[in-house]
Amino acid sequence: MEKPQLIVNGLRLDGRKPDELRPIKIETDIIKNASGSAYMEWGNNKVIAAVYGPKEALPKHTGDPEKAIVKCVYSMTPFSSLEEHGRSGPNRRAIEISKVTKEVFENIILVENFPRSEIDIFIEILQADGGTRAAGITAAAVALATSGIPMRDIPYAVSAGRVGDTVIIDLNKLEDNYSDADMPVAIAPRNNEILLMQMDGGLTREQFKKALEMIKNAGKVITKIQREAIKKPYEDLINKYGAKYE
Amino acid sequence: MKIVLPGDEILDRPIHMENTFVENNKTYTAVLAMLHDDKLIPLEGLWYPKVGDKVVGRVEEDKFSIYEIDLNGPYSGLLISKFVKSPLLVGDIIEATVKEIDRYNTIILYKSRKLYGGKLISVKPSKIPRIIGRNNTMLKQLIEGTKCNISVGANGYIWIKGNNIHLAIKAITKIAKEAHTGGLTNRISDMLGVKNGETTTNS
Repeated sequence: MEKPQLIVNGLRLDGRKPDELRPIKIETDIIKNASGSAYMEWGNNKVIAAVYGPKEALPKHTGDPEKAIVKCVYSMTPFSSLEEHGRSGPNRRAIEISKVTKEVFENIILVENFPRSEIDIFIEILQADGGTRAAGITAAAVALATSGIPMRDIPYAVSAGRVGDTVIIDLNKLEDNYSDADMPVAIAPRNNEILLMQMDGGLTREQFKKALEMIKNAGKVITKIQREAIKKPYEDLINKYGAKYE
Repeated sequence: MKIVLPGDEILDRPIHMENTFVENNKTYTAVLAMLHDDKLIPLEGLWYPKVGDKVVGRVEEDKFSIYEIDLNGPYSGLLISKFVKSPLLVGDIIEATVKEIDRYNTIILYKSRKLYGGKLISVKPSKIPRIIGRNNTMLKQLIEGTKCNISVGANGYIWIKGNNIHLAIKAITKIAKEAHTGGLTNRISDMLGVKNGETTTNS
């Protein structure tokens, strides 16, 4: 397929401005057996994240006597996408994303509180439209916050990219495939620590700075949506019955 | 009263508490919680074993001199066989007290009592204080209203036996879900049809 023109009259293919996010919707507590869970719609992405644990590390020799181990499974359902992502089972790409996601949450969870134990994070992509690893991390962060597992912050992730000379944010599938650069970044918003940064293609120093700036601005919006989603079930009940402590 | 989320600052001085962490001489909450006059009440949280906690567990393994007890968490409990009056089988449900926590986080139990029959359910450990209530008010009400035998463990396991198990589970689920709201004792007493013996509201 020939490369499509990704930016027309300053607007992107789906009508967004370069620094505009797709609409995000998060719902918590959707899997009753999990310690924490979340369902998220990010544009056309649909993601379920669930967190289990902490539980005894199995097999036992995998346990670390000083901290909890975090296991992460990212997977795409066979019906999630039109292209080659649709194959079932773990592949090279899914294993890579599982690994980087695991490393994001190892740095966020207070793992030293639970030696010899294991925390499992599952991310399932029901429908994919670009930026699923960012959506997965953002949803898993919400699931983790509702699970009661102690953590330092609620991270978010979003991708930035470049089309010609324009830096854009939150790439969809077409932009992801045909843009000149794609950079997913995960950040802990409290102190702006970078937990994940990958890049395809290339950016100049100035473009990189601009991309990071745009990601941090978008992060404010994402963080707000995450926090509201986490609080919502509790606030609804408080509005109905009043809080226990006044 | 306000809801705080993991990573929110709760104090500008370092204090080491459960469910918090200290960074740059400031205290932050590590869990979703309610902040009430510098007191952190977790909305979602795990059980951190303490000596003297009453727990409910299920026998997981019989190792001849010790029983390994499943306590709804990453660390299992150990019960020394010679202090148990009648021998236990794998799958038996027991009630016990935490005697000691060793450096490998193994929870050593004593004062065990076998619970015959009944059903074991699990709730989030952070909801247990509300299910017991202040001075056992909520638990007394549950037992009175459902005529069930109920044993509540700090670890999140609850054992129920009686004819009204479904009503008891329904009430416990409601308490767990609405644990952070006021006037819950009244709503539960209405649900179970018991006279409310509580004098103060919102407790």
